[in-house]
Amino acid sequence: MDYGFRNYHPLTNFIYYIFTFLLIMLSQHPFFLFFTAIFMIFLNYLLDRGRQLRRWGKFVITLIFLFIIITPLINHRGSIILFYVLDKPITFEAILQGVINALTLFSVVALFFTFSFVINGEKLLFLFSKYFPNWALLTMLSVRFVPLFKRRLEEIRRVQQTKGDAHERSIKRRLKHGLLLIQILLTWSLEDGIQTADSMAARGYGLRKRSRYIRYKIEKKDMVLIILMSYFTGISIWGWFLGDNILTIFPILEPYFLQGREWFFFTNFIFLIGLPLLIEGKDAFKWLCWKRNN
Amino acid sequence: MGFGGRMKKGKIEMLAIFFLLTCLLLLFTLFFHHHYMLTSVVFLTLTFIPFFIRFEKKNGSGRELVVLAILAAVASVSRIPFASIPSVQPMTFVIIMTGAVFGIESGFVVGALSAIVSNFFLYQGPWTVWQMYAWGLVGILAGLLKQTFFIETAIGRVIFGIVTGFLFSWIMNIWVVLTMVQNFSIEQVLVFYASSFPFDLSHALSNAFFLLVFAKRWISILTRFQKKYGLLE
Repeated sequence: MDYGFRNYHPLTNFIYYIFTFLLIMLSQHPFFLFFTAIFMIFLNYLLDRGRQLRRWGKFVITLIFLFIIITPLINHRGSIILFYVLDKPITFEAILQGVINALTLFSVVALFFTFSFVINGEKLLFLFSKYFPNWALLTMLSVRFVPLFKRRLEEIRRVQQTKGDAHERSIKRRLKHGLLLIQILLTWSLEDGIQTADSMAARGYGLRKRSRYIRYKIEKKDMVLIILMSYFTGISIWGWFLGDNILTIFPILEPYFLQGREWFFFTNFIFLIGLPLLIEGKDAFKWLCWKRNN
Repeated sequence: MGFGGRMKKGKIEMLAIFFLLTCLLLLFTLFFHHHYMLTSVVFLTLTFIPFFIRFEKKNGSGRELVVLAILAAVASVSRIPFASIPSVQPMTFVIIMTGAVFGIESGFVVGALSAIVSNFFLYQGPWTVWQMYAWGLVGILAGLLKQTFFIETAIGRVIFGIVTGFLFSWIMNIWVVLTMVQNFSIEQVLVFYASSFPFDLSHALSNAFFLLVFAKRWISILTRFQKKYGLLE
């Protein structure tokens, strides 16, 4: 049984991801993005103990440093010159820009790691089966074939292995060998697929409009959350329109610490990003209390 | 099921979309010339949606549906034997073969579908949409060039393989570039493309290699299957 944020309606979850993605792309401010990145790390830890994040950690960190290092080496705009590399000025503004780019990329990637935990395949298909029933059916069929084909591929590989091992060959032979396995898989599966299709026809596929099983229902808590999210996003877009969610870097750097009105928009932004954290935290707290009482 | 009967209507639709896109391009360059993100997403959706809806409206037979699902699943699984060789995977090749035998629409469907399906086992994210677009486009191109110089001859296939290989990787680079919308310069974009060049090259070359060595056999396998069961003609 799902709990916390995952227990909400798929549509509610999906709207959160769309809004958050939009706001991350709009709020190009290191302060905003830094906290987004931290929240995303927390969310990853809450949802799967950060396993996925750690697995991709090295790659992600390399990418971040690449952005932070390369941006000031190429971009020489800005007036605060820190030092010179090969007679080219390295400016504070450019480093800041690199940090912003890196944080944006990290936040988006970390956000969509959690997407896969919250909106699993079943929920995704549920979301689209209403408007695109053909595509949903096709996707379901295809997704079902993947594990089957993996097993078949392993079988084919073992049989082929008895004819000689492919590991120590040149790259050209390895490519050839690999695609040969796929080719065997293709011919085998195509012939087999006709049986699947005939079986579908025998059970009445295409006779009438297909019905679908509706497992999820929009409840009151979903409505509340959707209204809250729309409110926060609306305000944030207004803030973006006023220029408060963005750190102006070129031509003149504005003070990078938040001031005045910007705090209001920042709090508002953080509330939207942190909603799943709040929900997860609330449920974890309830669970803890329940355990203590029993 | 026949695709030929609707060809004329299809052509008019294509022209209409082309006209609409040209108008939009002018509009965006004249009035909104700093919203790269918005512009590209609008364009992406507009070129993409008609194909998507077209398949949705069509009432194909169960057999055709299963064959498309199988091709997409084979494309997704085809990465496995090449897992040890970085950025070499025959997904693009499988999609090209589908387009070259079963035509534009099937090429698009299998291209877009294999992006969805393979990400089911990895991660869904904004990149899924870009992959759907890029592979869908590769499928469409293969369908368009079906039975021409580019699919039939060895030199043509090598050229087509390299071009589509780079096309796919370059479209995928755009989404990373677009993530840093604000204040990026042309040099930055060039450096980014240069840093990914070795990977793109190895994808393109392996793609050309697969097309050169295997295309004939795969086309004959798929064509035989198509004729035997009268599918997607």
